[in-house]
Amino acid sequence: MEFTKITNKRMNEEYYRIKHGSGLEIIVYPKKGFNSAYASIGTKFGSIYSKFIFDGKEVTVPDGTAHYLEHKLFESEDGDAFSKYAKVGASANAYTSFDMTCYLFSCTDNFKKSLEILFDLVQSPYFTNETVAKEQGIISQEIKMYDDSPDWRVMMNLFNGLYHNHPINKDIAGSVETIAKITPEILYECYSAYYNLNNMVLAVVGAADPYEVLAIADEKLKPSKKVDTKVIFPDEPYDIVKNYTEQILPVGLPQFELGFKENGADGYATNKELVTTSILLNAFIGESSELYRRLLDEKLINSGFGSEYLEGLGYRSVIFSGESSDPKAAAEMIRDAAEKIHKNGISQSEFELARKTIYGRLAAGFDHKENIASELINGHFTGRKIFESVEAVAKITLNDVNERLEHQLDADNSCLSVVKSK
Amino acid sequence: MSEFVQRKICNGVTFGSITDDRFKIGRLSATLLVPLSRQTAAANALLSCVLTRSCKRYPNFTALSRKLDSLYGAALYPSVRQIGDYQALTIAVSGIDDAYALDGEFVSAELADLLSSIIFEPDVNGGLFKEEDIEQEKRQLLENIDSEYNDKRYYAVKRCIENMCSDELYSIGRFGSRQDVESLKNADVYAAWERLLSDARVELTMLGNTSPDKAYEGFVKYFGSKPRTIDAVEHTEIVPNEVRYVCENQELSQSKLVMGFRCNYDNDDAAALENSLMSAVLGGTPTSKLFLNVREKQSLCYYCVSRVDNNKGIMLIDSGVETENIDKARDAVLEQLTLLKNGDISDEELTNAKLALKNSLMSSLDSLAALQSYYIGGVLRKNQLTPLKAAELTDKISKERIVELANKVQLDTVFTLRGN
Repeated sequence: MEFTKITNKRMNEEYYRIKHGSGLEIIVYPKKGFNSAYASIGTKFGSIYSKFIFDGKEVTVPDGTAHYLEHKLFESEDGDAFSKYAKVGASANAYTSFDMTCYLFSCTDNFKKSLEILFDLVQSPYFTNETVAKEQGIISQEIKMYDDSPDWRVMMNLFNGLYHNHPINKDIAGSVETIAKITPEILYECYSAYYNLNNMVLAVVGAADPYEVLAIADEKLKPSKKVDTKVIFPDEPYDIVKNYTEQILPVGLPQFELGFKENGADGYATNKELVTTSILLNAFIGESSELYRRLLDEKLINSGFGSEYLEGLGYRSVIFSGESSDPKAAAEMIRDAAEKIHKNGISQSEFELARKTIYGRLAAGFDHKENIASELINGHFTGRKIFESVEAVAKITLNDVNERLEHQLDADNSCLSVVKSK
Repeated sequence: MSEFVQRKICNGVTFGSITDDRFKIGRLSATLLVPLSRQTAAANALLSCVLTRSCKRYPNFTALSRKLDSLYGAALYPSVRQIGDYQALTIAVSGIDDAYALDGEFVSAELADLLSSIIFEPDVNGGLFKEEDIEQEKRQLLENIDSEYNDKRYYAVKRCIENMCSDELYSIGRFGSRQDVESLKNADVYAAWERLLSDARVELTMLGNTSPDKAYEGFVKYFGSKPRTIDAVEHTEIVPNEVRYVCENQELSQSKLVMGFRCNYDNDDAAALENSLMSAVLGGTPTSKLFLNVREKQSLCYYCVSRVDNNKGIMLIDSGVETENIDKARDAVLEQLTLLKNGDISDEELTNAKLALKNSLMSSLDSLAALQSYYIGGVLRKNQLTPLKAAELTDKISKERIVELANKVQLDTVFTLRGN
């Protein structure tokens, strides 16, 4: 077992990293004076892990399997986890994203019992034909709810406009048809391939003590033998599928997302790349930018407008989203500005302002337990360390940003997705 | 962290602060509370947007945004909400604690200064704001109202309330109506600014690591000398005589069912807590009657949640259901309420609901945003409890009291947003 303490002077923060004998990576991040503890255990198995090699054999699972497995793991032979957590007063949840599944709880009391429930939950799969079939009703209703959500639809349609083959273009929950094909055998196989403690990480943030967590882990965790699982992604060309996509839904104001696809073949982005992109986007289209003001003046966006960087194994895109009475005109203005910025670059003064902004936002992130836990889990899976970003932003130069720009915001490789009413 | 310390600045103006060294971001806010009124709600809402767009010192949106960026991406934002029959307009700034500024700047002092400039020194001329600011913010507020229709869950709840409380101030809504916003003139917004500064009840809060004294003194200077007349709304007890059914159709995969009830109204914070526990037992947690029975056992809806508005005395149960199950879900919800009224509550149900409520109260102590929202949300009630005190009191609430409160719950309106 390795036990390491990691500190950061600039942020006045510290945490502990334990490589536990069972195979689990444990990270304990105490926040002095906090009343509640937030714990989240994650496995690197999300909706895009639909094809993999496990035990020497190639496995393809129906879309929506990771999410289905998350729902079913919440139930074991002796009842569902929600009611176990309720008895000890913890508030619990779970979620499946494109690239991971996490199970979490937050409590101000009974931490030991809550963590025991969490450890039991991920170590005791129980799937029968009957329990698997029972979940189809609830998940179908969840899928239908997302079908009515313009936020969700405009994003998924964008991914379908950007990605030819990468499974990021499939709904996380799958469809009513694909989940009908899920069986207990499929769930057990995914469980064996991905719910192995060597592939998982636990982050505990807030009112937590590393030695207490370690003692509970010693007691509850059964050592896992390493398994050999390798995800397979289809080849994805640089080019987009189409530059415009549209869906009709009952909305009061059209919603849009404009995505700029990048080469995603290089694995996960580094912290330095992420920070550089944040600075670049802030200078390009943040609230203090000239472009943002022009979009406002032309009545093309409102205060709901925002930008984000979506990246993971095999996909990287910059995405702008908002509501607009004229999404096409908004997209045109942004695409034109993207072409111009490639010619002129970012100025020193724009860079300085954006750098300060991003530094402040990163510092703010350390106030929130949920954010810290998600950074730690993400960081474990992607090789990014939580304090690298604030250090990177303090040292970054204008040159770094303008170099990064060369690989981003290619207006010829962008797609506009719109959801509007009839 | 310190307790929430309240200091009275003058009649109707209070400054509350918590000094806490656990956080890297500090928050300062001013909340102006006025009774909801059809004549003024829209102008007040638009005013809060216009104020945060520019001021005399930073006379346009870009200049103000650059100032905020230079303060390490400080945030300045308006929020408009409804607290019972009152409209609450909050203007908040939040930014990095001085200890973390890269070049040793005094960010907190600048933020306090900025908030005062925003509220007291807007860029006005001859009794008018800049026309461009009014036009821009009016468009954005209208778009904001239009897009409430996009979120079907939110929209259904809003429509239920509009129907249920159609003759009450409560139905005016936080922004007033779309038409009211559309017909606003520059002078209406200016009048709203003058009126609010002289007559609104004002709650100032400062939370974070900086000593609040300087900011407090600053506000004393601005508010100190002026006499204020504060309007108040009396609570009106409403007894529904027959249930109102309202249905709208939309092209949707999932229907929404929202049931509006009248429930106990008591201005005392401890009584509000009891009502919240009653709602938690019925449908506020994953072990509540509604979750376990209507969702889990009967699979009638994807979500089915109850919540009370203690500032108004209403309870709402909202759910996402398949169209064919709307009637079944409604009956199933009412069946669970009847069980509650009949005292069919196990010790486990009551204990679990108490634990969940206490966990949420105690967790709010770990977030300045949650604390701010907790204190402002309860500002109209008497004998306001700290989260810690409320958690202690929760333990003492009896099953009999829950049953008594459940028996005050009466169905008023059923709103259905019917899909395909």
